[in-house]
Amino acid sequence: MKPAVGGETSASSNEKKRKNKTKKTPKLEDYLNQRDYLGALTLLEFQRNGGVSVDHEDLWIVYCAFHLGDHKRSMEEYKAMTLKPDCPVDVWVYLGCALFFLGLYKEAEEAALKGSKCQIQNRLLFHLAHKFNDEKKLMGFHQNLEDVTEDQLSLASIHYMRSHYQEAIDIYKRILLQNRELLALNVYVALCYYKMDYYDVSQEVLAVYLQSIPDSTIALNLKACNHFRLYNGKAAETELKNLIDISSSSFQFAKELIQHNLVVFRGGEGALQVLPPLIDVIPEARLNLVIYYLRQDDIQEAYKLIKDLEPTTPQEYILKGVVNAALGQDIGSRDHLKIAQQFFQLVGGSASECDTIPGRQCMAACFFLLKQFEDVLIYLNSVKSYFYNDDTFNFDYAQAKAALGNYREAEEVFLLIQNEKIKGDYVYLSWLARCCRFNNVSLNLKDIMNQKARQAWELYLRMETSSDSFSILQLIANDCYKMGQFYYAAKAFDALERLDQNPEYWEGKRGACVGIFQLILAGRESRETLKEVLAMLKNSGNPQVEYIIRIMKKWAKDNRVLL
Amino acid sequence: MERSGRQKIQLTSNQPYDESFDVNADDADSVHTPTPRQIVSRRTERQKQSTMASYTGSKLEDDTKRKKEPPGSRGTKENEDDDEEEEEEEDDDEDDDDDDDSDDTESDEEEGEPGSAPEGAYDPADYDHLPVTAEIKEVFQYITRYTPQTIDLDHKLKPFIPDFIPAVGDIDAFLKVPRPDGKPDNLGLLVLDEPCTKQSDPTVLSLWLSENSKQHNVTEMKVKSIENPERNLKAIDNWIESISELHRSKPPATVHYTRAMPDIDSLMQEWPSDFEELLGKVNLPTADIDCSLAEYVDIICGILDIPVYKNRIHSLHVLFTLYSEFKNSQHFKSVEGQKSDTPSASHIATAELDRLTLD
Repeated sequence: MKPAVGGETSASSNEKKRKNKTKKTPKLEDYLNQRDYLGALTLLEFQRNGGVSVDHEDLWIVYCAFHLGDHKRSMEEYKAMTLKPDCPVDVWVYLGCALFFLGLYKEAEEAALKGSKCQIQNRLLFHLAHKFNDEKKLMGFHQNLEDVTEDQLSLASIHYMRSHYQEAIDIYKRILLQNRELLALNVYVALCYYKMDYYDVSQEVLAVYLQSIPDSTIALNLKACNHFRLYNGKAAETELKNLIDISSSSFQFAKELIQHNLVVFRGGEGALQVLPPLIDVIPEARLNLVIYYLRQDDIQEAYKLIKDLEPTTPQEYILKGVVNAALGQDIGSRDHLKIAQQFFQLVGGSASECDTIPGRQCMAACFFLLKQFEDVLIYLNSVKSYFYNDDTFNFDYAQAKAALGNYREAEEVFLLIQNEKIKGDYVYLSWLARCCRFNNVSLNLKDIMNQKARQAWELYLRMETSSDSFSILQLIANDCYKMGQFYYAAKAFDALERLDQNPEYWEGKRGACVGIFQLILAGRESRETLKEVLAMLKNSGNPQVEYIIRIMKKWAKDNRVLL
Repeated sequence: MERSGRQKIQLTSNQPYDESFDVNADDADSVHTPTPRQIVSRRTERQKQSTMASYTGSKLEDDTKRKKEPPGSRGTKENEDDDEEEEEEEDDDEDDDDDDDSDDTESDEEEGEPGSAPEGAYDPADYDHLPVTAEIKEVFQYITRYTPQTIDLDHKLKPFIPDFIPAVGDIDAFLKVPRPDGKPDNLGLLVLDEPCTKQSDPTVLSLWLSENSKQHNVTEMKVKSIENPERNLKAIDNWIESISELHRSKPPATVHYTRAMPDIDSLMQEWPSDFEELLGKVNLPTADIDCSLAEYVDIICGILDIPVYKNRIHSLHVLFTLYSEFKNSQHFKSVEGQKSDTPSASHIATAELDRLTLD
């Protein structure tokens, strides 16, 4: 016999060894102990065909299908049983469980109520009340829970689903203290820590379980998710690949989960193929598809997917906020922006999220929409070390700085941005132009001032003629004027005047030209510039031109400046 | 006078982000079309300074008590109380405000605080010393005749896009069916309630079971098929491995000959060279020759040195064993072309099943 090549080979050879040794028909119990439900099912069916009778054979078959995760089959089999006259009344509750896992909550409730009162029935109704968002019923069934392990664990799972992770952990830890043997509870605790963003703690607790059961699908998947959060997608994918490698090809359990996470770990690769069919199977699939569309800048598609989602988790609130913010700014809708701001505030202000990075980002976004830039900066500063080189972050960050008049730092941050789409955005250009205008003047060095003004001017020259470039001209003209950088102010007003005969622009140009004249007299501008000034003045038909030109020429003559 | 006029404007502008507050809702997407003049509201300290540093400082204080901080930090605190209303009013009230404000000209606090307005803003006083003619001085007034506008710039929030979210699945809710025999299964307690990763292959297991139990009643099973075989090499290899495993483990057929039969090895010895030579020229008789099956068996067994007694079955068994030996011999494999072997009769039913369809 060859050494085992892969997972399945070694599994089947174990099987054979067992058989060869005992030379007996394998026992159902062996398969169940190994949780080899496919094996158990095959055996049961083989025995049924061979006429070997087993007690409750049908129930055993569904039991196996159920724990294999084949809820559709177990639902069908239980349904068939309920049609028989001598059907045990418990079967109705089991049917309810199968229906529950298929997401058929209404039917599940109907079936459960036909069963007899028992712990499972109460737990099922308890969970259904949670799904129905029926607080009153929820409390009722909560009362009925007994102080037995299963009921307490079921309660913990409700806490988990309601994002009350600490409460869930308390229950698990209490039970673990009573019985250390219950290894599976470590995984539940690890899941809670994962949800609370304590990935390394999660990893530690998880290791306890993996030590004794190294090939657990749920645990290995969780480990991969921890790696994703702690390190990167590559590390996570490696973990998941291990899991795939050790799984036999007939292994279908959690297949969707693994497919889904592979897309996540690969940064969205294959999202459009894999995620759409999973939207109603894995709750995260819809969110990830929305994220995918957002990354592709397809805001409409993102909105379509999420508009009907009633948010319950922070992630859902955040995503709804993000999509509404993007859409609101895109189409100029205040309603969307208002929703976005409220969601951001809700998440960022919540006790659980206020100290997380996304929570801080939410608060920053909220204040940004409120134009409270001082607060924006407080929040962005608190997380900026995580976003060095993040264009989106820097764009918002720089705007906030600029809005507060911190043009120097704003400009530095604006210039870190690499994304061409952002760099072509009017908001980017106009703020950068303004920053250029006001920066470095404290050095009071003429050439640096001019250099900055020139940068802004060149920014304008690079733009295509459009309403945006017109706005930039206005910005340059007025901002330069304010700073006494009359040369570029004059050029900008001159250009504006040619585009639009508004007397406003003439006044600006007039002032700027005289301003240059003044600078020349003060020795802060070269005398040759006067030639350009005269040329610009002559572009205007205003009668005042003659008067100003006369005085300038007179001065030039007196001072022997060649024109 | 002109200056004071400007100043008022600045006043209003002092609270640049007034609207921002409750606004969010309404004003969030600021639709500022920068039309000249209109948007004076945002007149910032810069401007004030540019016009008259001294005035601005004082005004700041008066206007907004909140703004105690150095103007450099540019109090962003908006009047939370007065929202847009105020904002809207601004334009209308401007004049009024102006009057009020213009009066208070207090000491310039600002001078000391460089941050308030961009440093280096134009200040006509810097040029007062220039020795120029009255004519030129007059022309210089054009500079302050134009008030540069503060152009409001739009802000655009680029919302952060969250990371992709991995799924960890649900936590065990203990909604599970118990074992039919009522024994505890400890699923979800000692171990997670999940199937183990190594599940038996139902087809292979069925074959094993039928082999072990000698019941060949698995005919209703489907022939297993694999999708995308080119990408599923592992599955194919595993299949081949487990099926050949199955075949190898089947008990070899043993037949007890009633009469002595020669050893297979001796039957496999080379023929004399002249006979080999002859075979090059003459073919062995094929099944087409005109004789009965029994006679044909006798002929072939004769050629191969297999004795034929009463019962030809035993001789035939030796014949096929010999064939099988040759076929499986490494030495002859290269010589002989591959021939398919026929499934043994007893396994016709299951023969189909150990085939794997490659779609």
